[in-house]
Amino acid sequence: MSQLANLKILIADDHFLIRQFVRNALQESKVTNVQTAADGNEAIDLVQKAHDAGQPYDVVFLDWNMPTISGLEVLSYFRAKNEYTNTAFVMLTAESEQQNIMKAIKAGATSYIIKPVSPTDLNKKLFEIYEWIKRKRQSGQALHG
Amino acid sequence: MKPMPQIVGLALDDHLAKDISSAVGNAMHQTFNVEVLPGPYEIGDGMVSLVGDVSGVIGMVQNQLEGTLMLCLTFETIRELLPQVVGKSISITHEMAVDAVGEITNMIFGQIKANLGQRGHQLKLGIPCVVTGKGHFVSQFHRGRYMIVPFHLDGQLFQVYVALHTDKVKAR
Repeated sequence: MSQLANLKILIADDHFLIRQFVRNALQESKVTNVQTAADGNEAIDLVQKAHDAGQPYDVVFLDWNMPTISGLEVLSYFRAKNEYTNTAFVMLTAESEQQNIMKAIKAGATSYIIKPVSPTDLNKKLFEIYEWIKRKRQSGQALHG
Repeated sequence: MKPMPQIVGLALDDHLAKDISSAVGNAMHQTFNVEVLPGPYEIGDGMVSLVGDVSGVIGMVQNQLEGTLMLCLTFETIRELLPQVVGKSISITHEMAVDAVGEITNMIFGQIKANLGQRGHQLKLGIPCVVTGKGHFVSQFHRGRYMIVPFHLDGQLFQVYVALHTDKVKAR
């Protein structure tokens, strides 16, 4: 899974425990370009700034319940903008109700991971997300080429 | 076609104890890579006091049922768990302990809710809160029954407490 090492990732979760847990888990895939946000507002700021600087995030992990703005609202905000279509927004949440999963998928979540999750399973998911990003970029190049 | 599960009132029984044990064991193993051992559960009624240092509490409702879910840990248990994630060289602060118990509470009771949902019990959970204070007592005043499931982790003990109140509860 060394091809994952170049991914740029944001973890948005109000709990320090989860931010640290995900950061540790990603190290197993040699992913080191990782930033964190403690609420929805900070997540929006960081994603926008990274995009404006020409170094967008490849993957954004979003907790559902966060102070200020929820993960679902962050997801909907960016999915309404064309320039973020190649960014994978992944819900990482303890919300396990089917109707919430459907709500997130409808809002454009690339993947939905229910906590707790093991580091191994998180990295398996990350590999699927990486494949999604690759397909997205290839289809984008085909359209523009 | 899979038959719909027969929906009866939620009971303080072996099924619930199994759901709790599986959710706690899973959350602890996946997050902290530790194995916890559930002990025999206890059923009682009326007031009960649990002693702990950090407790995560969530209210729940299901039609005519009202209940409380509680995870009660000591700082010693938290000091066993947190270094697995934050590293052994970091000293565990009060804020870290509160943060961790809030999230563990969320994960455990979210999973119990999902397990109960598969058995036909559609529950709504309230907003979790965390109570702290060295050796605090958590007292529950209600007319229903409660279940306490103890867990052992390397000589440390922590407890999950579930109280239910409904006319239809089938407590044993």
